[in-house]
Amino acid sequence: MSIEKMELVNITGPAAELDSVLVKLSGCGCFHMEQASKIAGKKSVHAAPKEDNPYTAPLRQLSELAAKSGVKLGWADYSDIKSMSALELEQYISESKNTVDELIAEEKQAGEQLSVHEQALYQVDHLQGVTEDFSRIFHCEYIKVRLGKLPAESFEKLSYYDDKPFFFMQFSEDKEYYWGMYFVPSAYQEEIDDIFDGLYFERTHIPDFVRGDSKEASEELRKMVEEDKKKADDCRKKLETLMSQKSEKLNKLFSFLKTQHDNFELRSNAVISDGKFHVVGFVPKNNSDAFKALFENMENVSAEMQPADPKGKLSPPIKLKNGWFSRPFSLFVEMYGLPSYNCMNPTSLVAVTYSLLFGIMFGDFGQGIVMAIFGALMGKYKKWSMGPIIARVGVFGAIFGLLYGSVFGFEELLDPVYEKLGISFLPLKIMENVPFILIGTIALGVLLIIISILINIFIGIKNKEYAEALFGNNGIAGLVFFGSILGGLVGTVMGAKVFSVPYVLLLIVLPLIMMFMREPLGCWVRGKKYKPEGGVGDFIASNFFEVFEFLLGYTSNTLSFVRVGGFALSHASMMLVVMALTKSMSGLGAPIMVVFGNVFVMGIEGLLVCIQTMRLEYYEMFSRFYSGDGVPFTPVKINYDETIE
Amino acid sequence: MLRNYNATVAKIMAIYGKRLTPQDYAELMNRQSVADAADYLKKNTHYSKLLSAVDTNTVHRGMLENLLHRSVFETYMRITGFENISKQEFYNYKIIQTEIDEIVRFIRCLNAGSDNFIKSVPMYVNNLTSVDLLELAKVKSFEELLIFLDKTPYKDVLKGVEPDVDGKVDVTRCETLFRTYFINMLRKSMHFKSADKKRLNDFLETDIDLINVINSYRLTAYFDEPEEVIEKDMLPFYGRLDAEKRHAIYSAESSEEFIRRFSKTFYGRQMIKNGYDINDLEQSAMKLRHKYAKSMLRSSASAPLSVYAFIFLLETEVRNIISIIEGIRYGVEASKIAPLIIM
Repeated sequence: MSIEKMELVNITGPAAELDSVLVKLSGCGCFHMEQASKIAGKKSVHAAPKEDNPYTAPLRQLSELAAKSGVKLGWADYSDIKSMSALELEQYISESKNTVDELIAEEKQAGEQLSVHEQALYQVDHLQGVTEDFSRIFHCEYIKVRLGKLPAESFEKLSYYDDKPFFFMQFSEDKEYYWGMYFVPSAYQEEIDDIFDGLYFERTHIPDFVRGDSKEASEELRKMVEEDKKKADDCRKKLETLMSQKSEKLNKLFSFLKTQHDNFELRSNAVISDGKFHVVGFVPKNNSDAFKALFENMENVSAEMQPADPKGKLSPPIKLKNGWFSRPFSLFVEMYGLPSYNCMNPTSLVAVTYSLLFGIMFGDFGQGIVMAIFGALMGKYKKWSMGPIIARVGVFGAIFGLLYGSVFGFEELLDPVYEKLGISFLPLKIMENVPFILIGTIALGVLLIIISILINIFIGIKNKEYAEALFGNNGIAGLVFFGSILGGLVGTVMGAKVFSVPYVLLLIVLPLIMMFMREPLGCWVRGKKYKPEGGVGDFIASNFFEVFEFLLGYTSNTLSFVRVGGFALSHASMMLVVMALTKSMSGLGAPIMVVFGNVFVMGIEGLLVCIQTMRLEYYEMFSRFYSGDGVPFTPVKINYDETIE
Repeated sequence: MLRNYNATVAKIMAIYGKRLTPQDYAELMNRQSVADAADYLKKNTHYSKLLSAVDTNTVHRGMLENLLHRSVFETYMRITGFENISKQEFYNYKIIQTEIDEIVRFIRCLNAGSDNFIKSVPMYVNNLTSVDLLELAKVKSFEELLIFLDKTPYKDVLKGVEPDVDGKVDVTRCETLFRTYFINMLRKSMHFKSADKKRLNDFLETDIDLINVINSYRLTAYFDEPEEVIEKDMLPFYGRLDAEKRHAIYSAESSEEFIRRFSKTFYGRQMIKNGYDINDLEQSAMKLRHKYAKSMLRSSASAPLSVYAFIFLLETEVRNIISIIEGIRYGVEASKIAPLIIM
């Protein structure tokens, strides 16, 4: 349950072999690549020549083709097309694209034709009042006729033009328009057309092919629309058939080109000096032997490995090593930020404390089991990352449910079992042991805070950061102060006289002074001279307030754990309400209430407890020892999910 | 009117949340035709309901613009009708503003001898206005107009305006008089909390200052008018531009000098601070007004402020769309339309 140890790898070889090395690196799945120039020092080096990626253009063309034809590109075994030359590849893609373009153009044309006929039908359908043959209407010699639609607003304005020589005959209307035609003497055609244009009259141009009155024209057009639809449909099917035939080969081409493309992109991380390439990166120590074996057949290529140095020019990436139980909880750790290489992996601590705190707050055997099953199923079938966490914390909820004697809110169900087993102190009825629950959870909180401080001390000493480890509020001084105050308070409550003068001076005042003077003392330990930045006055003022904040922090962080007891009580109280409601019901209502109440409490309490526990983890524990500034371990690989736009 | 009308404010914020995004504007600007743009609005934006009955392939550009203006008015009616606040005097402002705009437009058409007024009359507002806009269109002269407006407050507004020998009137003067009337009316109708009243007054004064700046700039740059003429055509109110500052900018002898002097005023400094192009004064003033309206809408939980700011922002959005439609119609590149968009 730690952080995977890394080896720094320095690969060198003749520049001509760079591409073959990159292929091996992207294929091994365990190489985290870094910019080689970062550790190249002052030597005369230059990055691998930045050339235009020759695979970008065909890949883009292929992506375009896929987007047009609706083919989803992905990985396919391309070993049988490796022998194709670049020219053949491009030709194949180009020919395919042309065929697809032709089919799409054909489909578009059919669609346009359909649109024209649909438009005409739509317009003719609005002119159902016309019983005259359209061709006769449009061939009047002295009268001009305009068919179309007039916005409803403009229709109201027609009265303004009462003195003008036209009349508008309306056939139908909808929300926005009046459909109809206006008649105007040929001599006034221009003036009246202008008026109607200003009134946003949308003229309907009945196509020449429309014959007969509105009914006959409508029937004719309907037939045409059906034919157009069939034609457009045929084109689409033709395209789909073609693409189903070609998709396998296109995927192979894509995989091949994407591999070449991404490998080529990796060149920018390499450095070339004196005809040799240098590639730098990290490999997990466990994979180092297999990694070295990759280059056994390449005589001129050497891969030097050395243990990663967190204080070196390159920060080693972080790969968390977790066991079966704690692995899902790495989600919470990663959400906060990965630990630094020389820090500890807190996932196991999170897994245990999260499950424990959740269990205390959500103690119900039946609900815990349901939650565990729900989480496991969601994790397995829906790949929901929270699923395995819910499964684990559900089990803890069930365990605490056993201790509390609660099964789906039935608080007396397990009483006979404990009686039979002769366990007198169980079940621990929550509502009857409120002080114990609250004090107990505070005690648990104190324990967790002390564990967090101890971890911080351990990390500080390991990293030789003595000032923080010895004199910080989360160091030895803080631990002694916090422990002494709590020990003193507990002792006093128990009746002992703990706060003697030496006790106060040595265990409370002295650690406080050390915390106040932590910066100068830290310098003294490192053998350095300390000079306050803003003068002595500023030093006193800022440290006074900081120490005051530490004191407040100890109090508030400790009391923060009361919420654990609070939520345990709240869960029990909510179920009490559910049970009271159930009792007030009869017949089918009672079981429905039990089910509904349990689902409701599980949903709302489950969510609240999850959030509150995470808050305790992050604020009361992580903040004491954890800095999430680690870089994730991301081995180079070919991304077949990404196309080139 | 001391009730909060929180539901109205919440409703406004909900509608405001559906406003066009920069992505929407980018998509619109890249459309090849007005029909494409209308189609985008219909399928992807909050205008879809408005355009539901419209065939975007054939819709008339003027009709589309008319519909967009109507949508602002319908939204205004919807939000003021939500908690029935439309019965309060203040919330009539949009109807009065529309009415005034139409009368001024009519005078302009009258001067030009054009009968185009009728074509753009917003019929959707005609049953709410105190003058029948359809009847107004039939008026043939300024004298007839005064008789037509006899029973309305607008007769007093136009008192003292005389047509010249050609029967034409000074439209700029009429516009100033109507705007003055509108501002006075608006201020009198503000029967709400003093803090809200002050905030809205501040916003109005900023608006007035910027309108005066734009108008005085036009008079200086395009008509070379002296300070006395400029002063006469300005709205008789001011906010941050006191007499000294107004004198400084109105007396500028060239547009360059005007800009130089203006850049030293509060608004000039604000434009520079916000990275607006002060030389494009009109656009920058609009951006500033838009910024203040946005700030007022976001920081206020008061119904009158929210309504006023929101309607202003909605009008800007419609103006943006119309600019894009105009741009597309004349084949202007998206990169040249983009600076006209105020967000």
